[in-house]
Amino acid sequence: MAPSENDIAIVGFAQTAPQRRTNLTEADLVLRSTRQVIADVGIDKSEIGFTVSGSCDYLSGQGFSFVQNTDAYGMVPAINESHVEMDGAWAMYEAYVRLLQGDIDIAMAVGVGKNSNSDPETLFTVEFDPYYLTPLGTDTWSLAALQARALLDSGKATERDFAEVVVRNRANAKSNPMAQLAGDFDVDELLAADYVRNPLRRHDLPPTTDQAAAVILARGKRAYDLCERPAWITGIDHRIEAHLPTVRPDITTSVSTRLAAEGAGVDKAPIEVAEIHAPFSFQELILRESLGLDGTTEVNPSGGALATHSVMTVGLIRVGEAANQIIKNGRDRTLAHATSGPCLQQNFVCVLEGDR
Amino acid sequence: MADNGQEFVFNLTFPFSRTLGSTLSTFSSAIAEGQIIGVRTGGRVIAPPLEYDPETSADAGTDWVRVGPKGTVSTWTWVPQPTGLHPLSHPFGFAFITLDGADTPMIHAVDAGSESAMSAGMRVEARFKDPADCVGRIDDIIAFVPASDPSPSEGAGEPYVAPEENDITEMDAYCDLTYVDNASPTTIMWANALMDGRIIGQKCPQCARTIIGPRGMCSVCAIELDESHVIEVPDRGVVSNFTVVTPTPYPGQTETEPFARCSILLEGADAVIAQQEILGVPVNELRVGMHVECVWAPENERSVADIDNRSRGSGGDAIRGWRPTGEPDEPAELYLERMM
Repeated sequence: MAPSENDIAIVGFAQTAPQRRTNLTEADLVLRSTRQVIADVGIDKSEIGFTVSGSCDYLSGQGFSFVQNTDAYGMVPAINESHVEMDGAWAMYEAYVRLLQGDIDIAMAVGVGKNSNSDPETLFTVEFDPYYLTPLGTDTWSLAALQARALLDSGKATERDFAEVVVRNRANAKSNPMAQLAGDFDVDELLAADYVRNPLRRHDLPPTTDQAAAVILARGKRAYDLCERPAWITGIDHRIEAHLPTVRPDITTSVSTRLAAEGAGVDKAPIEVAEIHAPFSFQELILRESLGLDGTTEVNPSGGALATHSVMTVGLIRVGEAANQIIKNGRDRTLAHATSGPCLQQNFVCVLEGDR
Repeated sequence: MADNGQEFVFNLTFPFSRTLGSTLSTFSSAIAEGQIIGVRTGGRVIAPPLEYDPETSADAGTDWVRVGPKGTVSTWTWVPQPTGLHPLSHPFGFAFITLDGADTPMIHAVDAGSESAMSAGMRVEARFKDPADCVGRIDDIIAFVPASDPSPSEGAGEPYVAPEENDITEMDAYCDLTYVDNASPTTIMWANALMDGRIIGQKCPQCARTIIGPRGMCSVCAIELDESHVIEVPDRGVVSNFTVVTPTPYPGQTETEPFARCSILLEGADAVIAQQEILGVPVNELRVGMHVECVWAPENERSVADIDNRSRGSGGDAIRGWRPTGEPDEPAELYLERMM
């Protein structure tokens, strides 16, 4: 494709090695991922016109924790910087929009989450509706399980289908050196485990990961200076639904994902590889259907969120992995998805294409 | 840091008093009296009520409807090992429960005795706290229990007439989170040095700045720094800035009189050590440019228990504070432009 000046591509992606428990700080992790991607792309940090990160104060237990993380950018002289209290995928969306203004050529988006400091079973309770959910200790696992049970009762999937998603993702993760949980597992053995939240077993839940990731985006012809085969963003959208899952018409499907996929033009041509952010196994089944993917699309060759799940980083890694399929693996058209909120409340879809 | 020198636990607790607004006040005032309500909007009854229609964002209005106390489970899960945040301490279910008279479900706990008792379609009814203990919150309902009589709730779907003024307009909420952080290598270096009565920094090989309270990175050049970049700096310097704080009472504030927190530029350093206390000098006699030296706690009284990744540059209980050396002040103008 001959890019116009408003075409924007991902030209580099780096992530720290995922760990169940790191002794580094979030700022340390940010530094390692951003240093790596800047070196890979071969620029000086002063060439970055806009830097934006996604992280979460609740994970750090500290207000404005992202301010400390900015130490890792080297902000002398002062830089143009922003932050979203969301997964780095949404930081990447902001970087994309910022580049569309046309006055800068390079932007960097970062995601970071030191998840091991807190307990995922209880932490996210404080992020839910403070009147109707938090006083009940409603937890993210229980909400996912309510959605999973609804999916089972709808007849669209079985518990075996859930376990098969796990087996396939963990098997895929074997070829990803940046996966935390990888290996060959047996569906029947998985199904023999106790429920953590009926109908979900431990393997249906995401692991806990400490990790940071960063992508560099470039505009127009500048992308070719930095990357032989840029991953052009040809479609991008994100949609949100009501916070309370109880007022959504049908939680066995994802309306916001379907609309975001339409907005991003997913169905204009076949998708070769999709990197889907499904924190819970069964959600991959809902998302595949809502994204409109058919059997020809390879899903999560990286192992996805069931292999490595650093909240605030995992979505941006989907973007980076989908981009690398174009930059490094010669694919032509890939998709990245990220989600946020209880029961797939908010969904982000990005279509990436290489020059043909 | 904790005794093992590696991990520290901290609790993040803060009380909230939330104002409820008209819709939630009406819900709260009703539920405190044992009546669950919904709101009729867009041709359906949403319960518990919202201020807006989640599909159209239209004002949901005040067409209140009595719902429950019985309802029907649509989807459910089971919590075999409840956490401290959950409403019950023994195994229980969470469920979507569509209350009689409502069109949308609510999420609540179901005290069903066993997982096998749970199913879609099961009839349940609300079990309230003792009326004296009800405060107008969703957890005034302890849990739903299997309905002894599956017949429809009496009065469900009928209009609810709200009082002229709601009794309850605020809700107390208490956030209580526990974190277990582990000390980063840089934090450990800093804490160990304090125990030895030394102040260390890291000198960046690129810009040659020395950062006190090392961060494991140069925050100007954005490069990693490690043990090989550590240098010791003298425990004396000059007050480069200060602020006088007039304490207002808040949870955890132990100060009652105005006190000062000072930034000190140590000899050989390029970044200040901040939030320090000058001992023996009234706050109105503090001056930028004063020479000060460190007052260490006696070796057997030193502690770095309070030093964590978020408090680098703090002296913990190893540094008591700083005292004037009596040398003539440096000109204050030298420090005017300094931020860090």
